Amino acid sequence: MKHHNLPVSPETVHWGYFSKAVQPAITVRSGDRATIETLTHHANDDYERMIQGDPAAEAIFHWTKEQKTISRRGSGPTEGPFKLGAGEGIGVHLMTGPVAVEGAEPGDVLEVRILDVRPRPSQSACYCGRCFGSNAAASWGFHYHDLIEEPKPREVVTIFELDTAGEPYAKAVYNYVWTPQTDPDGIIHSTIDYPGVRVDHNLVTKRENILQDIRVPARLHFGTMGLAPSEEDFVSSIPPSYSGGNIDDWRIGRGARMYYPVAVDGAYFSVGDPHAAQGDSELGGTAIETSLTGDFEFILHKKNDLGGTVLEGLDHPMLETDEQWSVYGFTYPNYLEALGKDAQTTIAHHSSVDKAMRDAFRKMRRFLMTAHNMSEDEAIALMSVAADFGVTQVVDANWGVHGSIRKNIFKCY
Amino acid sequence: MAFLSSQVQYQTVGAFSMPTGAVEQGMNIKQFISESYPQDARGDAWSELLAGLHLRSNSQNENFASFAVAAVRGQPDGILIGHLVADAQTLTPISQRDRTLIALISLDEEIEITAENVNLTVAPNELAILPTDKSWETCLPRNTRLVVVCMSETALQAQRFGLSPVVTPLLFPARGLASVFIRSVASAADELDTLTSLEWQSVEQVIADLYLTMIVSAVPSETGVNSTQAALFSRLALSIEHHLSDPDLSAGRVARQEGISERYLQKLFEQNGESFTHYLRERRLQRARMALVAPDELRMPVAEVAYSCGFSDAANFNRLFKERFGLPPGAFRTHHVKNLTETASAEQRGWPLKALNNRKAKKRSAIDGAASEVSQLKDSREADGTHHHLSASAKTVHWGYFSRSLPPVLEISSGDTVEIETLTQHASDAPDLMIKGDSAAEDIFYWDGETKHVDRRGAGPIDASIFGRGAGEGFGVHVCTGPIFVNGAEPGDVLEVRIDDMIPRSSRNPEYDGRYFGSSVSAWWGYQYGELLQEPKPRENVVIFEIFPDDDGFGYAKAHYSYRWQTQTDPFGVEHKTYDYPGVPVDPAKIQPLLPAMHDLRIPLRPHFGVIAVAPREADPVDSVPPAYFGGNIDNWRLGKGASVYLPVSVPGALLSIGDPHAAQGDGEVSGTAIECSMTGRITVTVHKKGGRFSDLTYPLIETPEEWILTGFSHPNYLAEFGPKGQGEVYMQSSLDLAMKDTFRKTRRFLMGAYGLNEDDAITLMSAAVDFGVTQVVDGNWGVHAILRKSIFSE
Repeated sequence: MKHHNLPVSPETVHWGYFSKAVQPAITVRSGDRATIETLTHHANDDYERMIQGDPAAEAIFHWTKEQKTISRRGSGPTEGPFKLGAGEGIGVHLMTGPVAVEGAEPGDVLEVRILDVRPRPSQSACYCGRCFGSNAAASWGFHYHDLIEEPKPREVVTIFELDTAGEPYAKAVYNYVWTPQTDPDGIIHSTIDYPGVRVDHNLVTKRENILQDIRVPARLHFGTMGLAPSEEDFVSSIPPSYSGGNIDDWRIGRGARMYYPVAVDGAYFSVGDPHAAQGDSELGGTAIETSLTGDFEFILHKKNDLGGTVLEGLDHPMLETDEQWSVYGFTYPNYLEALGKDAQTTIAHHSSVDKAMRDAFRKMRRFLMTAHNMSEDEAIALMSVAADFGVTQVVDANWGVHGSIRKNIFKCY
Repeated sequence: MAFLSSQVQYQTVGAFSMPTGAVEQGMNIKQFISESYPQDARGDAWSELLAGLHLRSNSQNENFASFAVAAVRGQPDGILIGHLVADAQTLTPISQRDRTLIALISLDEEIEITAENVNLTVAPNELAILPTDKSWETCLPRNTRLVVVCMSETALQAQRFGLSPVVTPLLFPARGLASVFIRSVASAADELDTLTSLEWQSVEQVIADLYLTMIVSAVPSETGVNSTQAALFSRLALSIEHHLSDPDLSAGRVARQEGISERYLQKLFEQNGESFTHYLRERRLQRARMALVAPDELRMPVAEVAYSCGFSDAANFNRLFKERFGLPPGAFRTHHVKNLTETASAEQRGWPLKALNNRKAKKRSAIDGAASEVSQLKDSREADGTHHHLSASAKTVHWGYFSRSLPPVLEISSGDTVEIETLTQHASDAPDLMIKGDSAAEDIFYWDGETKHVDRRGAGPIDASIFGRGAGEGFGVHVCTGPIFVNGAEPGDVLEVRIDDMIPRSSRNPEYDGRYFGSSVSAWWGYQYGELLQEPKPRENVVIFEIFPDDDGFGYAKAHYSYRWQTQTDPFGVEHKTYDYPGVPVDPAKIQPLLPAMHDLRIPLRPHFGVIAVAPREADPVDSVPPAYFGGNIDNWRLGKGASVYLPVSVPGALLSIGDPHAAQGDGEVSGTAIECSMTGRITVTVHKKGGRFSDLTYPLIETPEEWILTGFSHPNYLAEFGPKGQGEVYMQSSLDLAMKDTFRKTRRFLMGAYGLNEDDAITLMSAAVDFGVTQVVDGNWGVHAILRKSIFSE
């Protein structure tokens, strides 16, 4: 077993996409561990608190008229003229990786264990050692076309501080309504439509003393984690799919074991979109987006060894914790295959909780029948009396419903 | 988290009559649902929506407590159609400078219109035409469903034809052209959010045309000539419609047929804003578009559709069609068919719509004579005067429905506790284990060739005239104990039911004495039924569980045996091929019990009541299956020991009923049932008077020591929303997407109302800390709940 270190740097991140075509940041063997840093792509909502003084963050977010360190943000075109910027923001998450896994081949399953998760403190002079995050109630939120207060519509950014002294919790510091921001290349972003645009705090009005007396219990987790799909070289990081990605389940934190079907040689695991807390549904479009560092362990399960284990026949991401298994259903289990050429953008027109529920139901049934050797009738009876279905997210284009079943049901007595 | 660059994200909208989901941008749809707004903003938002229809209401924020939902589509300078569900209130016009007209159609209730010197009584589905520049008022009765059309002067081009202004309300009975107008408008109102922008334009055109033709014959015109022109123009339009399929149709021919010159005809069309050629092509394309997707003509080749609409050249037709509608005709049809199949519903529970169409809503209904009996209240108060025992018997239960007309079986006061016995309707799945030897169960389930102790099971007709399944038709299935009359509970109050304890009811059969059993059916209304994998398909499967409770009221369940449902013949001789009627005793000789492999699994218990309801305000008996504002079949396992549910009271005394006891259930309840197991609960009932902490409650709210649980439904008040057809429609139009919307709105309102947050803070908090889960997808009105941890709010 080897322990690797994977810090964030312009060389170890890719922004807004999964890719089988980019150079791996490190290569690991099954059984190896790695400490991996991740940055939130919302850090520029408050540059002073979340970027300033942090050399890696400063380098990655560096963007002037002359130089943009990470030019491509998203899976869109890299040749101009751009509507929004290189990559066109089709995919937004700052991803660390990829981590290549020796010997991983399509058909295998990669298990990723999260051994620990901790926040990344601010390194700026004023806020050194304190931890911050940002929540955007954004245009892709479930609420956006259903607002009742004026002005309509509007996007609102709320900056939170994470208190880790005791049982960790987040508390709102201030918020502001998004106003048009001009990026260094002169493109005006009248809504939050491209990641990493620095918000000019002279152009927004801050409101303080908000959400007073409210403490949001921390649920440190990684919103986006998964393997490179095989269908395309550059795949938007927004819609989750069969090889994981932006699942946005807050249960994917410390102690979690995620299982992903391997789609390309080397698996190409990437992690990003760190969250301090999120509710099931991620209603407003984002969680409390906070830079985090995690300790991970990688275990490769070879195709031929899967039979007779709970991983037999697994063709979708699955979570195991000490208490339960969760399967992830989506509007389309593999939207790239289902929707063809323009899938990465057209998926947004198909979002549906109903379809995600249908998918989660099918995946849970399959899991119980294959991994637990049940007949269909048993699987359905058990699901009805003991499996819980919840709304994972309604904001990531390929909407999600998860089905969970408690492990103690299967204990041998 | 995610975002979509320059993409407007919108929800797929299914076929439902009231657009409570998100809608495509650019459709110009304005929506209102009372569930969205905190009480202090509700009246203002309602006024704003009404103002869009040039209407003003006398209802204010402070008295706006009732359910209302509305959608309005269109442009103020064209045609606006509004579909409203509103409670009792008075509407008056907001004076308009131009001659905008309002057409009013009430769908179910008679309404009165009062103007200077005129009083009109508008029967359901009659039409009132009202000026906006004269004063009048209309008083709406409770729960009115209205269609309102605003027709601007521009849209009608009435001046051009010199029509006299409407100065006084006009009444059109639903006959002849007026009937066509009424039906067109009403069906357009049903499809507000499904019509594309192009389709909407045709609807506007049709409504304006129909109106003009209708009014020409009803109102004397200012100048005879121009009125004749209008009439002539509609005659020409009609003639064109008749001859669309004729490829040789020309301006000359139409003119000759009507006995006018071709030049005059061209002039008339130009006056109306377009050339004859253009008009003809547009009509042909519209006709073709309809024909392509007409159910009877789906197999007709595209070329044939083209010929039937007067296009002589298929290639030309393809090109024109694509230009006009964005897709070539073949693709257009494929797209339509795909949509259809995706939204089609499988077999469905509850009232079939056809039967509801033939049924008159009753103003005041008696439940088969039960109400006429003098109620014999059981007063079993003990010495301290606060504890009651309500045992289950054929006299103290009602089966499969709620009703305000039911005589109460117990009278209590706020703060009293009740030990209440509830029986599962699934006891008959294993009568030996769950009925035999139990005098109460034997009484309730008693059914021989002549007698059936509880005859009515469900809200259907007592003579089983729809399907012949049995009295009540099984439109509602739960054995409910009650109703309990709570002294001092008035409409507008909130009833709190706290569950202090729940214990399963043991078998009274000497062979199984002291053991506990339950049943779970994977039934035809389950989520799996239409897509089973293993043969035979479809099938229903019953699993009998043995329950092992522990001292804390929890414990576990193990599968005891299972069997596939086989046709059962009930004691009256009716065959039940599926599980279509509750309480049919399963004959052990007709099933093959198996020991399922899963018998070694232990399923943790989550004892709870599936059904806790106060009587709905509607007059008819209400199916117990779809939950709604009055509670009912909530099926949330968190509603167990230590939890309370708060329910808005609709009728004096609240009339509380409890049933559908469950030993365990998962979120989703996918198979159609939980582990259904008779139980006895101890509850404390409290009345919270109007104006108190829960003054703005319009839905069942659950509280546990740690959490608030808000319950949302596809249709929060389906009885009001769909009117008399509600008990059928709700089964057809259920969706998690709608339930998610409703739960989001309720949670926002709760955070704004109960915790004083503004909208932004409420949304941020929901995103960061509120968990949304799937309650059930099997009860007709599907449910999503939101869990809000109390620990978030520091002391």
